[in-house]
Formats: sequence, structure tokens, C-alpha cells
Amino acid sequence: MIVSAPRPEVPYALVRVFLIGAGQVGSTIVEALHEDHDITVLDTEASRLQALTGHFDVAVHEGDGTSRKDLADAGIGTADLVIACTSRDEVNLVAGMFARREAGGATTVIRTSSSEYVDLWREGQLDVDFVVSSELETAYAISRILGVPAARQTDVFADGQVQVGEFDVDENASDEVVGVPLRDAHLPENSKVAAIIRDEVTILPGGDDEIRHGDRIVVIGSPHAAKSWSALLWPGGGTVQDVVIYGAGRVGSAIARALLSQGISVRMVEASREQARRAAEALPKARVFQATGFDPDFLERERIGQAQAGIFAMRDDAKNQYAASIARVRGIPFTIALAHEAVSVSAFDKAGIDVAINPRAVTAEEIVRFAHDPRTQQVAMIEGNRYEVLDVTTRESSRYIGMAFRDMPVHGSIIGAIVRNGGAIFPHGDDVLEAGDRVIIFTEAANAPWVVEAL
Amino acid sequence: MSQAVARIGPRRRIAIDLPAALNLVGKLGKYLGLAAVFPIPFAVGYGESVVPFVVAGVVTSGIGLALERLTARSEGRVGVREGFLVVSLTWVLGAGFAAIPYLIAGGGQLSSPLDAYFEGMSGFTTTGASVVTDVADLDRSLAIWRQFTQWLGGMAIVVVAIAVLPRLRVGGRQLLEAELPGAEIAALGERIRATARKLWLLYVGLTLAEVLVLSLLWILGVDDLMTPYHALAYAFSTMSTGGFSTQPRSAAAVSAEGQWVLVLFMAIAGANFALMYRALARRRPRVLGRDEEFRLYLAVVLVASAALVAMVSGFGIAEGEGAVRSGAFQAVSIVTTTGLASADFALWPPLLLLSLFALMFVGAAAGSTGGSIKVVRHLLLAKILRREIAQTMSPEVVQPIRLNGSPVDERTVRAIAAFVLLYVGIWAGGAAIIAIDSAISGVGLGTLDALAASATTLGNIGPAFGIAGPMGSYANLGDVSKLTMIGLMWVGRLEIIPVVVLLTRHYWRL
Repeated sequence: MIVSAPRPEVPYALVRVFLIGAGQVGSTIVEALHEDHDITVLDTEASRLQALTGHFDVAVHEGDGTSRKDLADAGIGTADLVIACTSRDEVNLVAGMFARREAGGATTVIRTSSSEYVDLWREGQLDVDFVVSSELETAYAISRILGVPAARQTDVFADGQVQVGEFDVDENASDEVVGVPLRDAHLPENSKVAAIIRDEVTILPGGDDEIRHGDRIVVIGSPHAAKSWSALLWPGGGTVQDVVIYGAGRVGSAIARALLSQGISVRMVEASREQARRAAEALPKARVFQATGFDPDFLERERIGQAQAGIFAMRDDAKNQYAASIARVRGIPFTIALAHEAVSVSAFDKAGIDVAINPRAVTAEEIVRFAHDPRTQQVAMIEGNRYEVLDVTTRESSRYIGMAFRDMPVHGSIIGAIVRNGGAIFPHGDDVLEAGDRVIIFTEAANAPWVVEAL
Repeated sequence: MSQAVARIGPRRRIAIDLPAALNLVGKLGKYLGLAAVFPIPFAVGYGESVVPFVVAGVVTSGIGLALERLTARSEGRVGVREGFLVVSLTWVLGAGFAAIPYLIAGGGQLSSPLDAYFEGMSGFTTTGASVVTDVADLDRSLAIWRQFTQWLGGMAIVVVAIAVLPRLRVGGRQLLEAELPGAEIAALGERIRATARKLWLLYVGLTLAEVLVLSLLWILGVDDLMTPYHALAYAFSTMSTGGFSTQPRSAAAVSAEGQWVLVLFMAIAGANFALMYRALARRRPRVLGRDEEFRLYLAVVLVASAALVAMVSGFGIAEGEGAVRSGAFQAVSIVTTTGLASADFALWPPLLLLSLFALMFVGAAAGSTGGSIKVVRHLLLAKILRREIAQTMSPEVVQPIRLNGSPVDERTVRAIAAFVLLYVGIWAGGAAIIAIDSAISGVGLGTLDALAASATTLGNIGPAFGIAGPMGSYANLGDVSKLTMIGLMWVGRLEIIPVVVLLTRHYWRL
């Protein structure tokens, strides 16, 4: 059992990152990347830049992302990666356009709040490398969570063949997995316990370790296994088929669309007449109510309390929290609320909301993965930024090639799955790592560069 | 200050550009008059007088030219406001044009101006209600003229229904706006021309196809009646969903095969021409199956036919193929608002009469030559009612009304509900006048017959029941009834609103 490994001095290949926008998304990205990369941040507001320099070693420039001159002066020309992540689509688009001119070879990533731009990008109509939409990323995150309702967080890898889930083990959890050494426990097939987090300490478990009540665990496995884990840790919990969404704005509608596409029935509650009408027109399968959702008459008449899950996607964190509490009182067993302010996340946690999602953090996480090694296809962050799950392709030169998994040393990271010839394999001790395998690996964030280097 | 007064000028209270509207009506009249050339070869061929048609053409084109000349100095463009007046006047003028030859050559049957105008309005609105008691007694050229006026009116209404009424937002018509690709031209005159150019070929082509098929039956000796003359006469009558016949007993004398051909072409005439244009001319037949109204129209035709077939054979009126044909023919004829009959349904038992009466309120597809309420309005009305019921239980639920997947805006939804109410109101009012007038003059029109007479003229169908049945005539009705029905045909053809708008004060004055 290794609690934490010493961090070898092998950084990522240095990437010069040029960041436009020092808001919540921008600062989350800086936080994730500043140790290994050379970061320049451009923003119009000096106060935000000051806040950044106070915490991190980054170069900052006060300037306008829509001004080609400001971008050039701040040194966009030497960047390898340009990230435009202000809260305004227009600024991001213009900055992305100028980045193409000023830094021809750089990878450009822009953030958008409009799914229209995502569609345009997919059709090849936008000349940027990646478009990340907070709304869509949030919607996908929520639809993953509802697919595995017991999970605090889930991420998918390898086109959905591998799922990573973070679960709380509470009193309800089945005795089949709790209090039994892992090698004797009846674990769902095709899955691996990657980490046990107990009292702020992370355990990368071996066969002798056991899961206890009150632990938080990270599991890597097939989607089916993830559902089995969900059932083990939350016995009697069914699959989610009936969801109420408060707020039919852009995020709410994106969530509704994602859930409807999975065959989940969706009811939406929206106070604004205009927004309710727009959502009802855009989503023929959803049942949209124009109501505040706080009126007891309405809640009773429409049996809102009978929903299996409530999603609170209004603009205002306070309203989301209040609505979630009312929903709880009415009998909705599972609540997910959007926390637009980072501080709300822990407040929601304390208030008994099952999952708090910060759309900007989700967006930042999606963007951060472009900053990693080109072999790293995807990154998921767990417990804020403490842990990462990486999807890395192994090199010929890696010293782990040809090694059986049982013989691999444990250095603060653990391989959960490999993707070989397009199919996912959940390795046992006898399996051998081959060159070209994609490895889904759990690691402490601080160790991530070293892990990538070693493979 | 005084300069400002000079600039402000006097108050201008006239809200409508009358010269511009009359100019367009004049232009239309000028060309309409040319249509009088059509029956002249028939008149020459059968050795009948050409005078009635020459007079009709000269008078109509003359009035048109005069209107155009008198208003030539107007620079105004015909906009939406003028559009209401233009379409309303066009049908007044068209009915007059159609009536002139009757007045001159109609003999005793159509000598009264009121009767001639009734027949003219009935033809030009493609209604098919007739005051003629003996069709065989009419000149052959006059009889084909009578058929031809329906065909002209059919062409006119297709263009107006697709190009003009949507722009005037008549009865929720705006939801079908710009159905026809490329017909989004702002000025009404231009719009009419562009749409007519697209659709005339389809309309003429379908008519010719029907003439050919019917003539083929004659050539093959299947149907001795269908000489090219009669084939043309029936084709005019079906493609326009008119319903006049050159035969005293409507379509009863047509062979079984011929009647099936008529059923087919009536059904085609009841479909949306803009949709058919897309399906045929643009080779995209799948648009038909995707159109909600078209699907419902087919379903209505099939269900109505099946119901009538069951009743016709149940009552022992006909058997076997005869029962199927009789049921289908009458059902299709009434639903498409054609009004031809293969049997004298006025003699049928009350249950069948009531069924036919109910079908009079269905109407064909919007954008067809058919009249009445139209399938798309029924479809949307059903959706509106369904939403009302849903909202009774859940007042907060937001449920957009959709047509073909796209939301219909609330204004259109209201316009449709209002149209249907107005339609029913005007029908009831018309029926009351006809019933009271008939009771006073003692012409022997029963209550159900009067109700049907109002519905059949407002819906541009043609025959009612009793003495006004498919083999009968409206000749004996009182003048008040005839005037009422002329009004009903006119109002019904233009989908009510344009005429009603003309009756409001603010249409004319600010």
C-alpha cells in the first residue's frame, strides 16, 4: 500500500500556452497547467490578472482579445496552444481567428456557450482546432451521472467503452464489497478499484485492502460494471427514467436534449414565459411548464415529487439550492445542482445536494486535456484537481512493454483498463502490456507528467 | 412655425390606395376577357352564335382597360391592404364575366340577370350550384362555357390561395406562406404572376391527362358518353372541383370505369397544388408522405368512403362494386367540394344525408381548388382543443401547436380558431335566411335542405338535398335565397376574411 509517491523530475514537453480570459474557466486552466507549462494570460481586467499572478507563476497582459495588436503585443506569435475562454462567444471567435493569423502553427481551442458554433465546427465551418461548449459538457456530465446514479462523478473513455466513476460508500452499501479484502470480495466483472480515498488519504489498493463505510472510491470499468457498482453501493436504486429540470435556458435545454436522447423522460420547469416557449418549441418530447416551481399547488398537482431525479440548472446558485431543498422535501430522492460560483460547490455538498456541478470547471477540464502530451487523448479530473485519469498511448521505448501487470511497480498510479485494437480490456495480473496500447490510468495530478513520460 | 404648418399639410383620411387596387383589378379583367375566345371554336363548330362570347370578352376587357386607363396615373403599389379589395373585386368581376353569355344566349332558363349572375358566381367560385333546370336545352358552346368558367375560377383560386391569401394572413393561412419555392415577392401583383407561372403547367397538365384518360375510355368503347367534348367538360368540372355537368343527371350517366377516373382526379384536385408542384415538378415525391395535411386528407377520404360504402350497401341502395363506387364517388365528391354525383343522393335515407352534410364541412387540402374549412384547419383545431384540455389539468404546461414538426405561432392558432367560428356563424346565418325565405315563398325546401344549401354554397360544393339535390336545381328558390347564396359562394371562395375586412370602417378610413 502506497499512500503517495515521490515526484520525479520529468516534466511534460514544455508547451507555451496563450490564454485569453482570466475568469473562472481561465484561472482553473491556469491552476491545472501552470506547474508544467509556460503560460501567458490576456484579459481586459487588471484585477483578475493580479489575482492570478498572486497565486501562480504566469505572465499576464492587460489587453483586448478582439484586438489583433493586443494579441501580438502579448506574444501570441510564439504560442503552441491558444485557448480563448472568455465568457463571450464573440471575443473567443475573434481571438481564435486572429490566433490563426498570428500563430499559424498553434493549436486553437475556443470556448462557446452556443451549441450552434459546436455544430458549425463539426461541419468544418469554423477555422479552429477545438470548440468546447460549457453547456454541452455540463449536459454530458449530467447524463453520465444519471446513467450511474450512485456515482459522484463519472467520465467516459475510449468512445464510452471505459467508464471511470467516483462513488461514496455509505451505510447502504452492500456487504458483498464492504469490509472484505478486495481479493475475496465479489467485485463486478471487468472493473478495478483504482483508489480508495479515506480521511484525505489516498490508497492505491492491493488485494489485502478493503473498502469501508465512509470511504470514497474510484472505479474504472466497463459501462455495465459501472452500473453494477452503482447497484452494489446504492441497492434498490433503479435506473433513472423520469427527471425534472428546473431552468429551461441554454444549459437546461442542453441537459434535456442529452437526457431525452437516452430515452429518459424529461419535465422542465421554467419561470420565464419566453424561455419556456422556446424550450417547448425546440424540445417536442419534453413536457415544459411555465412556473416558478416553488408553488406548492403546482408541485402537488404535477406530482413533481415523484420524479426520480431533479436537476437544478437555473442561473442563480441560491435559487438552485433552494429549489433543490424544496424538491427534497417533496420527495425527489436525487438532486443535481449547477454551482456557477466555485464556492457554491461545497455549500451545495453541505446542504445535502447529491451532486454539484460547476459548468466552468467542467469546461476547464475539457480544455486542459489539449495541453497535455499529444499521446494523451483524454483527461478526467477527480476531487477537484487532486487526481487525474489519463488516456495515454504507450511507446515502443517504454520499459513497461512486455511486462505482466502483476509485476508492475506501483508509483502513485494504477492502470484501470487498456484499449487494444479498438476494444477495451480490463487487465488481470497475467496480462501483458504491448506497445501501442492505450492505457486508462489513474494518478495523482502531480504525478501525471511522470506517468506520461514513463509509458 | 408657419413652415411646419405648410409641411404638415391637410389630414389624409383615405387609408387605401383605391386607384392602385382598381388598376390591378383592371389589369386582371383585361386578360380575363381574353378567355372568352375559348368557346368560340365550339360555337362555330356547332353552328351556334359567337355573339355571347364576343360581347362577354369585349365588355370584360373593356371594363378592365377602362379601369386601368382611369387609374393609370396612380403610382401606388398594391400592398396587403389593397389585396383584400383586389381579390374580392376580382371574383365579383369574374362572376359577371361568366354571366354575360348566359344573359344573351341562356334562353328562358338564365334570362333573369339574377339567375345568370348566380350561375356565373357558381361557376367562377367552382361551386357548381345551378339554377339551370334542363342542361340538355343549353347550346353546346354555352354548356362548355359553363364548364370552362369553373376551370378558370379554379386556376384563379389556386394562385390566390397560394400566393395571396397567406400574405393577407387569412384564417391562419400564413402558416402556408411561401410554400412554393421562389414565390416570396413582396408586391402582390408580382407574386400572383410568379405563382401562376409555376402552377399553370401543373393545372393544365393534370386537366389534359384527365381528358386523355376519359377520351381513351371512349376510344376503347368502354364509355360511349365520353366524347372528347364531354371528356373536356368533365375534366374542367373535376380539376376545378366545380361540379357542373353537361348531362342532366350529373355524373350518373358516366360508365363505371369513367366514374372511377373521375374519383381519382377529384381526389388529385383536392390536394395542395404547391405540394404537388414540389412532388412532381421537383421530383420529390416524398414530400407528400411527410405532409401532415396530405396524410390526414387521404385518411379522411378513405374513412369517409368506407363509411358511405357501408351505409349504401347496408340500406340496400346498391350492391357489390356498385355500392363501393357509389360510396366512394359521393364521399370524394363532397370532401373535395366538387359536387358531382353518380347517384341522386337527395333520395337517400336521413342517416346518409346527415353523413354527407357533415362531410360538407371538411373541405379538401389548403392550396387546392376545393373550398370549405379545409383539412389543415381541422387538424390544427384538433390540436388546439387537445392543448386546451391538457391545460385545464395543468395550466402551467407549455405546449406549442406544431404542423409538420414546426411550431405554429399563437397568432396563427387564434386566426384558425376564429376562422372556423366565423365560418360556422356565417353558415348558420345563411341557412336561417334561406330557410325563412323558403318557408315564406313556400318552395318546398325542408329545414335540413336549407341547412345543406347554406353549407354547400359557403363550402363551394354545389348540390344540397331535396329539390336542390344533385339532379335538381336552385331555380325555384326565392330571390332573397339566391342573393344570399351568391354572397355565400363569394365569401366562402375567398375564405371569408377578405370580404369581412372590407366591411370594417378602418379598412377605408383612418
